[in-house]
This record gives sequence, C-alpha cells and structure tokens, in this order.
Amino acid sequence: MSRPSARKAAPKGEYIETDSGNKVSRRSAITGTANITLGGRTVIMADVHLRGDLHPTRAVPSSSGKDVTPTSISIGRCTVISTGSVIKPPCRISRGQVHYYPMKIGDNVFVGPHSTISAISIASHVHIGDHTTIHPFVIIKENVKILPNSVIPANMVIPSSSVVGGRPARVIGEVGEGWGVSGGGAGVGGGLGVGGGGEKSWVEGGDLRELVRSIK
Amino acid sequence: MAQPFPYTYYSCDCYDSKITPNPSKRASQPPPADDEDERTFDPRNPRSNYSLYPLEHLLYCEDCQQIRCQRCVIEETLNWFCPSCLFEVPSSVIKSDGNRCTRNCYNCPVCTSPMTVNSLENPADPSSSGGPWILACPYCHWSTVEIGIEFEKHTGITSQLTRIGNGGKAIPTPKERDKERERRKELETMKKDRDVLSGSEDSPTTDRGRDDGPPSHDDIFSNLSAFYKSQIASQTPSNPFSPHEINFSSPSSFSRIMNLYSSTTSKKQKREKPAPMREAASVLEGLIIHDPSEDAAAIERIKKEGWSSTLSSTQKFAQPIPTIRFDSELRPIASLLCTKRGKRCRSCRHILSKPESKITSTRYKIKLLALNHILRLSLRALSTTTIQPGTPSPLAFDYNNLKSGIPTHFLLHLSNPLFDPIRVTLATPSTTPGKIQSRVTILCPQFEVGANTDVWDDALSSSLSPIKKPTSIGPDGQPQTSIEAGKIWDRGRNWTSVIIEVIPGFVGGIGFSVGKSDPEDELDEDEDVLEIPIFVRLEFEADVNAEERGLGDSRGERGAREKREEAFWTVVGVGRIAKM
Ligand SMILES: [Zn+2]
Ligand SMILES: [Zn+2]
Ligand SMILES: [Zn+2]
Ligand SMILES: [Zn+2]
Repeated sequence: MSRPSARKAAPKGEYIETDSGNKVSRRSAITGTANITLGGRTVIMADVHLRGDLHPTRAVPSSSGKDVTPTSISIGRCTVISTGSVIKPPCRISRGQVHYYPMKIGDNVFVGPHSTISAISIASHVHIGDHTTIHPFVIIKENVKILPNSVIPANMVIPSSSVVGGRPARVIGEVGEGWGVSGGGAGVGGGLGVGGGGEKSWVEGGDLRELVRSIK
Repeated sequence: MAQPFPYTYYSCDCYDSKITPNPSKRASQPPPADDEDERTFDPRNPRSNYSLYPLEHLLYCEDCQQIRCQRCVIEETLNWFCPSCLFEVPSSVIKSDGNRCTRNCYNCPVCTSPMTVNSLENPADPSSSGGPWILACPYCHWSTVEIGIEFEKHTGITSQLTRIGNGGKAIPTPKERDKERERRKELETMKKDRDVLSGSEDSPTTDRGRDDGPPSHDDIFSNLSAFYKSQIASQTPSNPFSPHEINFSSPSSFSRIMNLYSSTTSKKQKREKPAPMREAASVLEGLIIHDPSEDAAAIERIKKEGWSSTLSSTQKFAQPIPTIRFDSELRPIASLLCTKRGKRCRSCRHILSKPESKITSTRYKIKLLALNHILRLSLRALSTTTIQPGTPSPLAFDYNNLKSGIPTHFLLHLSNPLFDPIRVTLATPSTTPGKIQSRVTILCPQFEVGANTDVWDDALSSSLSPIKKPTSIGPDGQPQTSIEAGKIWDRGRNWTSVIIEVIPGFVGGIGFSVGKSDPEDELDEDEDVLEIPIFVRLEFEADVNAEERGLGDSRGERGAREKREEAFWTVVGVGRIAKM
C-alpha cells in the first residue's frame, strides 16, 4: 500500500509513477491524498477526481493520542480509473449531519471514461462501461460487467457474474464462463479496439496488468 | 448484447447437426465438408441470432470435440439465492414458497429498482421502534405511501405485506377467508330457508356489515379452489361419506383426501369415468360476475386522471395480479431468486462447467472453455496504433464510419490456445450477404499458427521469425507497400496475422441509384453493419485421447498421435458503413 503523495521525481510526462507502480496523471484532481490508498500498479487518468477529502469523521477515536488518518477511498491493484471519472465516497445524512463512509474498490477493476462512482464497495474484476453513474451504497460483487451509460440506483446489490445495464440498471444477463479469461496466452480484447497484431493485450474482467503497462 | 466493433462471434451448429441424446454415436468428426461447402453462413438469417456467441460464452466438450453453446448444454441448478440479500434459499423452501425472496427484498413496481426500507419517524415525536417504516424506491421515489401502506417493523416486510392491502386494509389469512366463506354460505342457506318459509323477499339481513365492494382476487381464488376441492371430493366414486361429513380426524379418510390431491396417484385411483363436474354457480363458489359499472368507473377514472394513472404492460406483467389497471393497485414486487447452475454436454452428458456451490464463491470446480480449445480470431484496422482506453485519440480508426468503395485493410489475428501447431484454412464469400454488398478478400487464406508453448519460450527467443515488414506509412495513414497476396502479415509464438481487404458497399443501392428511392432499397435496422462470415477449418495432430487409447487400440503406444480436423463458421463484425 502506498499513498499517491509518495511521488518520486520523474521526468515530465503524463503520469507520475509511485514506488509501487501506481500511475497518476498530472492532470487528475486528487483531494485529500492522505485518505486515499492505491494498491500498486493502479492508473488514475487525466481529469479524474478522487474525493479523498470526504472521509468518515466519527468512526475514528483519537483517545489513544495518535492521530489516525481515516481512509476514504481505497483502490486495489491494477485498477484503471479512466478519464473524467469522479470517485466520491457515499454519504448519509443522519440527525442533520452528513456522514461519509469509506469506499473500497478491488483489484483489476476497469472504470470507463466519464463515470461517477459512489458505491460503497466494488469487488475485483469488475468492468464498468463509460458514462456510468453508480449511486451511493451500491455493492458490486466480483466479475460484474456494467454496460455503458447505465445508472445503478442507490443501495443496489449486484451479484457476481452478472451483466447489468439500463436506467435504472437491472441484471440483464450473466457473463459467460470464459469472461475475464485470456485463453492461450495471447488474449485479445476486441472491445476497445485494443489488441490484435500480436501485441499482448487485455480482456474485460481479466488481468489488467498488461493494460496498465501499456499506459504511458 | 451489442458489442462494440470490431467483434467476433462463433457459430455453434448444434441446431443443424441435430444433437443426438444418444452417447453411443459420438459426433467426433465435423459434418462432411461438401455439406458445408454448399451454403454460406448468413449472419442476417434470423436463425443466426441463436447460434452466434462471443467466444467467452462457449464451452467445449472434450469427448465430442465440439464447441457447446447454451442450446446444446443441459443446465443443472445447484442452488437458489436472492440477488439482493445474497442469502441462499433451500430447494424445499422453493417448493413451498416459490421463486421469490421472502426477506425484505422488493423491487419498485414502477421502475424495477431495488427498494429500501425507510423510516417515517417524526423527529419531534420519536417512536420506540423508530417507525413507521415504508418501502421506498431510491431511483424514482415511488414508495408504499402512495398505496397507503406503512410497516410497524423494519424487518419481516414480506409477512407484514401479506397482511396489509392497499390503503392499509387488513388482508384476511386463508383461514379467516375459509371461515368467512362458511359463515356467508350458512347465512345464504338460512336466508333461502327463511325465504321459502315466509315467502317474503324482504327479510332484513342484519349481519352484512363486512360486505364491502367486489371480492378481491385472492377471495375469488380461494373460493374457487374451495369449490373445486369440494367437487372433487364429492365426485370420488369410492367416497363413503358425503363431502360435508368428512371426518378429518379419521386417519383413513385423511389419507384418502391427501391422495386425491397428489397428482401421482390419480391414475391408479381412476376406476370409473367420473361424472362431469358442476361449474361454479355463485360468488362464494368463485364465479366472477361481470359488472359493467366497474368498467364505467375505470373509464371515468382515465378521463379524470389521464393515462399517467394507468400502468404499462411491463409494469402489469411484473405484478402478482397482472390484470390490474391503475397505479393505486400496484404492489411492491418481491425479488426474483437467481440460480447457480452447472452445465453438461447435451450429447454425451459430460460435465462442462460446475461452479462451487457456495454463493460467495466465484470459482469453478470444472470449467471447459472453448477459448482454451478453439482458435481465437480478432480483427482490427491495420492503420490503428494501440489506443489507450479512456483517451480517444484523434488518429483512432473509426469503426462506426467505414468509407464506401474505398479498399480498407484489416488485420485478422489468430491465436492458438492448443499445444500443437495448427494448419488453418479460411474461407469467406467474396461479397457479404445482405443488401449492402461489400467485397472481401483474405489475402492469405492458408497458413500455420504455432503451438501455444510456454510463455517463457516466447520471452527468451524474442525474435522468432522477424517477418515484420518495413512499412512506410502513406499520407492517408495506410501502409503503402508490402501487403502481398499469399503472404501472412506477421506471426509470433502461437499467433499469426493475415490481411483482409474490405471494400465496403454503398448504403442505399449500388452507388448509381443515388437519389432514387426504391422501397426495395429501404434498409432494415443494422443493415449498414458490415459483418463478414468466415469459415475456419483447422487441421492438427494431437495426442490420442486417453479414453480412446484405452479402447482396444492394438498399437496403443504412449504418445500416439492422431490427425484431427475441426471446422466452424465465425462472423466478424467490422463496423458500420458511413452514409454517403
Ligand atoms: Zn450449440
Ligand atoms: Zn433477498
Ligand atoms: Zn422506482
Ligand atoms: Zn459431449
């Protein structure tokens, strides 16, 4: 685990690479960096807004004397947050006060461009299409594919291996047994026009290491 | 499910090859080649919709040596669970309570979004339970307040909901309903007797206070089912009792009654032809008498409140009573359960996939994927450089804007998951089927794809065979030279790529008839999508199946090789042809 604040001096490029291999765009907007953890080899693209400043206030007891930094966003390994997406921890208003809850995003999650995410938890190997809105406290289990332009209503639980789409989103199918498996070494993700031509590539719901490597 | 371009679908020919459930005759060989040669697979044929799958949805039967799609597998339900609370529901409960969650999981009857239990507690006057509670939709903000339903507790919503009707009225339990029916029947007979005795019509019935409005759907159902039960009981030839005198405490009569209603014993018990049953004759027997005033009231209501108070057909069909008309009659919809299923080959019954039965697990005990057994085809435009997702580069090839009449080169990439090299033969019709005829040429239809050896081999011998051409990119972004017919484009450890030249056809006729609008030329939906059917034939030598080697092969030496052949149709979706 490392904080994106732990940056090393790098030559000017699109991305700042951290010690654990996280790639954070210089054009991304990250607030409250101390409350954000990135698992390593995770990509934060340009114009992404991570709202680490919206962190839980009441859960942390400071009685021990130590000042514990509350986590508001924790993102796993090899996860890609694409251009223009907003990650905002969910909140609830109780007795006139706004309380934020920490958000957890797993490994190998792909968040498509221009999505707004307020889920409470997103498991690993989830593929989220572009322009998707995920309302507060949504729970997304493993191996889920969310079609582009979907709106996931608040508090919805999406069981693993489902395909979800629509406004409001509903489970419209199951991902195939082979989803996320890049068969025979050279997997090819036709999805976004990547791959082919012998370059190692990536598949939706699969291991995103190759994708992360290709982003420079 | 629509996929972004370019995509590849694989056709499972299980319908045409007519899967036999008899495992003795295995269709281990593909159908005769001449049969296949005669027709071209047409992706626009309506039937093709049901045979085309993305590779990751296909399984592979190692015994039949064929791909298996959803049509040629048998599904076995391992368990049921609620998609919303993720609790497993045992099969005994499924049988008694049906296929819906009986916890607190409900979907909005207006927009299908999952509903949440919210408190309506007045902060100025807090209640001990924190209630009253309602079910509310976080998406469209419909709530049970609109149908006049509030709950006392925030748990056990299902049991509370079965007792509250719309408007807050209590729904009688089945027992109460039976009692009420008996009471009314008695009243009716008493009234009849009195009428006969006194001869007068106007004997006042004082005890009619509970009579309010037409009977509900549940009332009618329970009345009708009670009526049929009594009819069946009275029709039984061996019935020694009259239906009114059945002694339920007697074990013999009780077991007889139980047998009557179980369908399995009905054949055995049939001795004589039963007399035809009487039909329901009154409301208490489940007869629905059409009341024109109800229709008139409905029409009045539509006049007053407009269409917005009526329901769409999808909203109606999702309801427990799908005959309702107005939004005031809506009920929250209990979540439909989901299943975890294993799959077997329909032909030889071997297990093809079996997930771990635990709900929380996403692992498989057995999973035989087609993508580990079948060549993977993928297409991309030759001119594209690798694009990063999320950062649309202006140089990216626009698959949704193919230029009519301009030869465009695509790279068809074939990768081999098998540990044996494969000889591949590709075939495609020279013009695509459909109204827009595009010309397609595979520049190198016959080639070899290397074996899928260890990944490290590839890394160590970094340059296997550098055929990479020194391409000079022309001003139009197309490589100018070095595309040669009969030569592969590039190859690696377990992959080969070849060039396909496509001349997209003209949207709206053959280019010359621009301006003329012939109804024949009217394009159907998605007619401008350029899809290329490609027939793939594979030849390779593989180790003889362990099972077959055991079966009396006289030269059954270890490592025996056999020649194998597989053939299938694929459809490559290239893109959409631009309008001129
Ligand atoms: Zn099939
Ligand atoms: Zn449930
Ligand atoms: Zn709703
Ligand atoms: Zn089989």
